[in-house]
Amino acid sequence: MVQLTYLPQLPLPVSPLVLFGALLLAGLVTGELVHRVLRLPRIVGYVLIGLALGASGIGVINHQIEREARVFIDIGLGLILFDLGRRLDLDWLRRDRWFTATAVAECALTFICIFFALMVFDIQPLYAAVAAAIGISTSPAVVMLVVQELRAEGQVTERALNLVAINSVVAVVLTTMLLSWIHHEYHAGEIIMLSHPLYLLSGSLLLGYVAGGAAIMLARWLGKHKDLQLVMLLGLIIVAVGSAAALKLSVLLALLTFGVMVKNRDQNHDLMQANIMKFGQIFFVVLFVMTSATLNTGDLIAGGTIAVVYILARFVGKSVGIMSLAHFSGIRPGSAGLLAIALTPMSGTSVVIVHGTLAVYPDFGARLAAIVLSAVVLLELLGPIAVQYALKKAGEAGEERV
Amino acid sequence: MNPETLEFRSSQAYSVGVELELQILNCRDYNLARDAADLIGLIDKSKHPGEVKPEITESMIEINTSIHHEYGTLAEELAQIRDTVAQAATRMNLRIAGGGSHPFHKWSERRIYPTERFKYLLDTYGYLAKQFTIFGQHIHIGVPDGDTAIYLSHIFSRYVSHFIALSASSPFQQGEDTAYQSSRLNTVSAFPLSGRLPFVQSWKEFLDYFEQMRGYGIVESMKDFYWDIRPKPEFGTVEIRVFDTPLTVDRAADIAGYVQALARYILTERPLQPSRDVYALYNYNRFQACRYGLQGKLVDAYRRRHVTIKQDILETLELITPHAADLRGSAALAKLTADIVADRTDAAWLREAYSSRGSLNDVARMQSELWMAGALVN
Repeated sequence: MVQLTYLPQLPLPVSPLVLFGALLLAGLVTGELVHRVLRLPRIVGYVLIGLALGASGIGVINHQIEREARVFIDIGLGLILFDLGRRLDLDWLRRDRWFTATAVAECALTFICIFFALMVFDIQPLYAAVAAAIGISTSPAVVMLVVQELRAEGQVTERALNLVAINSVVAVVLTTMLLSWIHHEYHAGEIIMLSHPLYLLSGSLLLGYVAGGAAIMLARWLGKHKDLQLVMLLGLIIVAVGSAAALKLSVLLALLTFGVMVKNRDQNHDLMQANIMKFGQIFFVVLFVMTSATLNTGDLIAGGTIAVVYILARFVGKSVGIMSLAHFSGIRPGSAGLLAIALTPMSGTSVVIVHGTLAVYPDFGARLAAIVLSAVVLLELLGPIAVQYALKKAGEAGEERV
Repeated sequence: MNPETLEFRSSQAYSVGVELELQILNCRDYNLARDAADLIGLIDKSKHPGEVKPEITESMIEINTSIHHEYGTLAEELAQIRDTVAQAATRMNLRIAGGGSHPFHKWSERRIYPTERFKYLLDTYGYLAKQFTIFGQHIHIGVPDGDTAIYLSHIFSRYVSHFIALSASSPFQQGEDTAYQSSRLNTVSAFPLSGRLPFVQSWKEFLDYFEQMRGYGIVESMKDFYWDIRPKPEFGTVEIRVFDTPLTVDRAADIAGYVQALARYILTERPLQPSRDVYALYNYNRFQACRYGLQGKLVDAYRRRHVTIKQDILETLELITPHAADLRGSAALAKLTADIVADRTDAAWLREAYSSRGSLNDVARMQSELWMAGALVN
């Protein structure tokens, strides 16, 4: 018998390319079905197919595949965080103090509400505090993608995006600072207790700062060419994501800082508004499919009551924070409530933070995951729908194209 | 307005009022934003001079001054309204810009402001309604009666190229340099009821014409005529609508000062009689002004000569100087004269901004920084 050596050996090895393409197509089709049949955001479809293929479903997406797809997920997350950072307008916060006050109140009340609600349900203070800090965050990916899908524009949209950025920064900084407490709990030395958060915060900020400075300098050199500037930004984003991971820094904080720098420190207006989100679309589909594939619906059943308490407390904190002060910052009556609803989503960011702590003390991370991730499972599905509702109701969605 | 009572409401001669249509920009890429409703809501929360109103798409607002008798108070009120609008805009992280067109917005992305009239216009005119996201200045000049309004409208038509060249500030449209100084008027010309007043000689003749058109079912009110210069009976004014919104309110006030003095010259000296020849040459002269601005050619129907618009304006400025002095508006004319002699026009400013920066986003940003003046500093 002749050996057909030119044929591949069975079983076929997993090719990252085939994987990426397949996940993209699976997400695309489900997203489109959900959009056409249920008139829901396409993200809901990405999440559903992820759940179906992942740990909670038929298990096609396992840890090995997750590792293979890691690079795509990281790039997707990096693009979103950078673009969100670009939306955070420090000038605006300086000019409209009431808006700044709203943001502060919203973050503080969210933390307080979740913390005390969890305490009532007998969660230890340390877990309650970390979970509450994570609860401040609103998913940048979900809000940005729904905004993009609806082509939404207006005061609720702009304010929601600025609040999402602020929420994310506050959540990361707060959980990082709480690391000291966790280290203390696990009897790590004082040096680790203090130096770890310090390294994470200053390192991530510095990385974002350097990337931002590099972007502005390169943009000046390249001149006003949108396409060149887009490639330059993509390059820097990927380098920044990679460096943050390699240096064990916070990708989230570094990339947000990068975006904020680019928006607020570009005094000569050298940078153009390159459309990162449009380019990133293919990564975002895979990002959502993969993130939800790692979620376990079993968590939801295990943490059932706690998940509901967590979500309700979080919503109360955010709503009260926003509705009490938003009026003074000159937005239309009624938009404050919609703004609060638009901050419902929680997903990628919180998963990243949970996994960050998981890496340090697996046992702590696992117990924290039981509280937070069960809420994330629910909000992955409810979040996009809430954002779509809020933006449509506010009349800020673009006209639908037939 | 009730069409049965198209009565001409008398108003004080040479009183003047200004309307400006303005651009609302976001401050990310300085494209047009869609926040007119929120912005108007915020502005109306506080007491402010003049009026602020929605326009056909959500990216526009219109500001109106009250009635003035001299240039100084008009300029002052315009500056006050500008400060109010600019401060409200910064609170919503928006920018406001002058200029007859937004340099790079895409008309297909515009949304009609949700009122009955604007929805009707979209139904009637289709894409033209969205393309109508262009920004003009309207100047009202008070007249005592309808006959005077008709006379003044006809003589103003002789000066239409002045009005266009003085305010031209729409060289860019949809991301392209149009080669025009005012490209905005080309968009207006697409409307079937645009154009000019018919050659009627009295208010009564005009009413007959209006009734005839209404009988044909073409119009219901004066609002349906998009004429360059039209009588406005319910205000008791002649309204000139060919101006692009200038880049600053100062320039808008200066032009109003020019028109006011010109009106006084026309009505007190009655130097010209309405002439069909003016209208025979009208479209040619109008095109020259749109395309070339101050350097355009003006064919003078009365003196049967060719002259540059710049030259004709400078000569007119001399003629009307005594009238400006009587109206206490000499300052406006002095500023205009200096600008015209030096060829400082808004269209030139915009092109200069583009060639220095190489990006229309920057042009829009600089446009807004110029219009908002001090509001962005604090």
